[in-house]
Amino acid sequence: MSRFRPNLTPCNRTRREFLGNLGGGFAGLALADLLHAESGTPHFAPKATRAVFLFMNGGPSHVDTFDPKPELDRCDGKSYSGDAEVGSNGRPIGNLMKSPFAFKNHGRSGLPISELFPHIAKHADDLCVIRSLHSDTAAHASGCLQMNTGAISIGKPALGSWINYGLGSANRNMPGFVVMTDPRGGPIGSASNWSSGFMPASHQGTLFRSTGSPLLDLATPKGTSDQTQRRGLDLLRDLNTKHLATHPEMDELAARIESYELAYRMQSEATDVVDLDRIDAKTKSMYGMDNPLTADFGRKCLITRQLLERGVRYVQLYSGGGHIEETWDGHTNCITNHKLHAGETDQAIGALMTDLKRSGLWDETLLIWGGEFGRTPTSEGVGKFGRDHNWQGYSMWLAGGGVKGGQAIGATDEIGFKAVEDRHHVSDLHATILHLMGLDHERLTFYHQGLDQRLTGVTEERHVIREVFA
Amino acid sequence: MPAFAIDYEEDIKALLKQRCVSCHGALKQKAGLRLDAGSLIHKGGNDGPILEKIILRVSSRDEEERMPPEGSPLTPEEIAALDEWISNGASFSDDEVVPGSPESHWSFQPVKRPKIPEVKDKAWIENPIDHFVLAKLEEKGWSPAGKAEPRVLLRRAYFDLIGLPPSIEEQDAFLQNPDLTRVIDGLLTRAGYGERWARHWLDAVRYADTNGYERDATKPFVWSYRDYVIDSLNSDKPYDRFIIEQLAGDELPDRSSETMIATAFLRLGPWDDEPADPATDRYDQLDDILNATSQAMLGLTLACARCHDHKFEPLLQKDYYAMVAVFNPLHRPRAGRTELAIPAGTLKEVAALETRDKAINHLKEVFEQKYLQSGKSKLPRDVVTAFLESKTKEQKDLSKKNRKQLDEELAAAMPQDEINQLRQNRPDLPRAYTWQEKSNAPPKTHLLIRGAPGRHGDEVGPAVPVILNSHQFPAPSDYSSNRRLGLANWIVSRENPLTARVIVNRVWMHHFGHGLVRTPTDFGIMGETPTHPELLDWLAHWFVHDANWSLKKLHRLILQSNTWQMASNLENRAYLQSDSENRLLWGQNYRRLEVEAIRDSILAVSGKLNREMHGPHTYPSIPPEALEGHSDPEAIWKPLDEKSASRRTIYAFVKRSLMLPMLEILDVCDTTQPSPGRRVTTVPTQALNLFNSEFSNRQARHFAARLKREAGPNPVDQIRLTYRLALCREPTNDELDSIGNFLETESLEELCRVIFNLNEFVYSG
Repeated sequence: MSRFRPNLTPCNRTRREFLGNLGGGFAGLALADLLHAESGTPHFAPKATRAVFLFMNGGPSHVDTFDPKPELDRCDGKSYSGDAEVGSNGRPIGNLMKSPFAFKNHGRSGLPISELFPHIAKHADDLCVIRSLHSDTAAHASGCLQMNTGAISIGKPALGSWINYGLGSANRNMPGFVVMTDPRGGPIGSASNWSSGFMPASHQGTLFRSTGSPLLDLATPKGTSDQTQRRGLDLLRDLNTKHLATHPEMDELAARIESYELAYRMQSEATDVVDLDRIDAKTKSMYGMDNPLTADFGRKCLITRQLLERGVRYVQLYSGGGHIEETWDGHTNCITNHKLHAGETDQAIGALMTDLKRSGLWDETLLIWGGEFGRTPTSEGVGKFGRDHNWQGYSMWLAGGGVKGGQAIGATDEIGFKAVEDRHHVSDLHATILHLMGLDHERLTFYHQGLDQRLTGVTEERHVIREVFA
Repeated sequence: MPAFAIDYEEDIKALLKQRCVSCHGALKQKAGLRLDAGSLIHKGGNDGPILEKIILRVSSRDEEERMPPEGSPLTPEEIAALDEWISNGASFSDDEVVPGSPESHWSFQPVKRPKIPEVKDKAWIENPIDHFVLAKLEEKGWSPAGKAEPRVLLRRAYFDLIGLPPSIEEQDAFLQNPDLTRVIDGLLTRAGYGERWARHWLDAVRYADTNGYERDATKPFVWSYRDYVIDSLNSDKPYDRFIIEQLAGDELPDRSSETMIATAFLRLGPWDDEPADPATDRYDQLDDILNATSQAMLGLTLACARCHDHKFEPLLQKDYYAMVAVFNPLHRPRAGRTELAIPAGTLKEVAALETRDKAINHLKEVFEQKYLQSGKSKLPRDVVTAFLESKTKEQKDLSKKNRKQLDEELAAAMPQDEINQLRQNRPDLPRAYTWQEKSNAPPKTHLLIRGAPGRHGDEVGPAVPVILNSHQFPAPSDYSSNRRLGLANWIVSRENPLTARVIVNRVWMHHFGHGLVRTPTDFGIMGETPTHPELLDWLAHWFVHDANWSLKKLHRLILQSNTWQMASNLENRAYLQSDSENRLLWGQNYRRLEVEAIRDSILAVSGKLNREMHGPHTYPSIPPEALEGHSDPEAIWKPLDEKSASRRTIYAFVKRSLMLPMLEILDVCDTTQPSPGRRVTTVPTQALNLFNSEFSNRQARHFAARLKREAGPNPVDQIRLTYRLALCREPTNDELDSIGNFLETESLEELCRVIFNLNEFVYSG
């Protein structure tokens, strides 16, 4: 085995690709792969072994959240004369608009955070804000795709797929990549955002519901008793085992027999995850589950903790769903919009951070907060309170395993339009996330269409943001 | 010191291949240096030996000096390994093969018919295929697996050719008279053949019913392309003609609505109706057509040469843009964000339709004037005046605002007799979802430096890759550039070394689970070499010269071979040990069915399969939970109409942002790229779907009802019928006992659900 690429096979493809590409007759691997939680082969010791992407769908405004701009306060109401591209899709362009939200310095580090996030602010010393991100598109569909898959075109595997491909599963009874959407709807582009693209379907994100039966077809069918379900599975195993004698060489068949037992265990394990009855009232209240405004996201954050405890590698939570003001897409009134969506999520995110620290998972878990882009420092239309899309400069934050908190990296220009200092493309963020998880973005490749494909693309040079690391 | 010795093959060669060989290999020899074989590394380049210098160059701090020039520097670990290998004498195996020149790559050589090899066991031979396979086995001293049992062969033939299990009557007929040739010939005449094999072709050409991205809109009339593929296969349209029609059906002298509909091939890819950059988007769409053409039809990864010469194949950036020049005259008919389908027919038919529509419009205009002047309109007077005069900007705005209202009034008031007469004399044409050339004067095409739309390099004309034989493009016709026709004629010319090999390989893949080349969309240097190169060439040559590109003749030849008829129980441990992937074909492969065949079989045995063909897509039910992830869960999917949803799965709506969960979970292919073939993954969510889903349970109820109807009340009769319908065999006594016990406490419906989940039910071969 080569020490430079994971699991090299004689024809220079990775073992996982082999498993994915080959069908019948490939003995010896499938069963082993299914039965044992894969140990994974990181390129170097991971700082975090799981990640949570808190996806603020629609694009939160950086100048109202984590990137204070005193110069913008001074220029409030003036027209913008700089060279940044303003306005997406021919929307009206207004004047510069200061943030209505007060920023305060928090923690020992004094990291400035707006009043929208009183709970997250308590963890200021853990946050590493990257203020100089930029991406390639002003539209939601391609923006969400790029934040999730690195590319603005559909058909590429999501970050969660790459992480599961790189690190392997830690618990075969649970999907390794879980997505929970907003009750108002999913993100634009839907499943393209958690697709495994050209990788095997086993790496795709699984939609998880926070109430009722969490996974599609997880529940025993209506009208079938638990006893009948078990008897059916027993008969299936019995008949399948008899049949296996005609093809004893095919581990694929044995793996398929075992997959029904795993599914049966998943039934109870996944159901347990969303069963919060055993959780004490104080914890639920900490997550905001006793308040209608915060209850839904609070529930999801608490479930997220349970998913992480069960070894799920990558959880993605969407705040905001559907269109425009139901997401962070504050075109009409960014003030009320952000008050609403920050109000729905802040307490739960703060609680999750507190809880992870308490349960000891904090050091192994990477938190990622942000949306597909930021918003303009100008208003959308003169005298209006909306803000338009801004992909030329925006903020996100990382926290948890391996991250140096209490700092801000890079900067946008004086009023917050363009990233100017330590500019970082979305793909740099991806490279950094992979690095924290023990994966080298240039070596984590998947052979497809004549190319060793990467999350960070193969055409541009991308860089790990080393300042992030503790 | 590393914990284990450095291995040249595993450590050094892999590293060099990944980081160095694209500039220092068979393809390019910068500084006259090749690093793709030990002997060449020792030899060095233009400046003499380099072994001593490698470490200095890869570890240099001077970026101008450091190798490789692109990407990150080698890691200290990698440099240490190189250093250790070199200081230990840079040894390599004596029998290492030096890669040949790219021109000599096997798939670029003309297809010649190889001599049929002699074999010892002549009794085993049914047709030439067997000679090639057996000769290789005998070389190794191996013998082929025995013939599969008749019932296995019958089921295999049904699934291979029509994707459905045989009925009881068909099983009985075959067991009485086991004439496989008759069965094969019969299956090839069934409509189900086209439905089964069209799905394979749709995989190869990235078919879906929507464009993807934010609105993920339904492509109007795109389903008529799916029907075109089904009908073309059913009529055994020669493959060369099939290709020409899809690439250039509009440029053919005998153009028809059918050949126009075929060109929807060009427009099957995904596209963003709100692109980040319109110029890039235009080239992305041309890239999509080019990529589908080169991978599906030629087995080339030409799309990798968009920004630079291909790093691993002898394909130049110039080749890429020469192919772009072929498609560059095309435009997508649309109105803003709305996609349009255009009338499909001969030039004469389309022109006559235009004349008819002009006449209808003229009638409408005349009536409108009369109507407005008559004072019958309910619109305010100033609006009527605005329509009549249409002088000032205000009047024009006013007209625009009230257009809909006026149209409604006109529709109610206007006599339709004359219009109906015109429509009757000249009925509407079918519509094709395709691209169009607006004139016969193609736009200029430039090579784009680093693939950037703004950075024009040299102008390029249409051409085929220089590594392959050259080709003269035809002159433009009166209405079209004829470039696609030129390309299509080259692709199907007898001199083209790739086309026949690629399609023969794909057909083989669907009959054996693997192609003779196991990378069906990549026949280049990076692709795998054929397991049976002579057989592949013999088949390709026979297909073109003897079978005249008839796919049905090819199926017949393959299925009549003893190779295809071998048993799939690969129990020989010694063979398995040395050839676990069955590359030598010492038996058939036992293969999981594609999800479409699984779903169709469930419907077939439950008795609910609706055999209605053609037409707009159907909507199999999706549980509301699965719609939650969508931005518009209410409007996204139509409610279940069970009869229409029970048609074969090829008719199910393929929405790029919302795949039918069963299809998605059971490894349907990616719809954004030409697919090299389905994967087989085995994960618990598949078990959940097949065991618990509403579909499985509903069909289990139908199946049970059918059993009661057809087998009567006796459980043994019911079980026997279950097995014959679902598995084409009688149950063993052991199985009868197990199931008998189960039925003592559980229902027949529950048994049927179990049957759908059996390995034996979802596998064939």
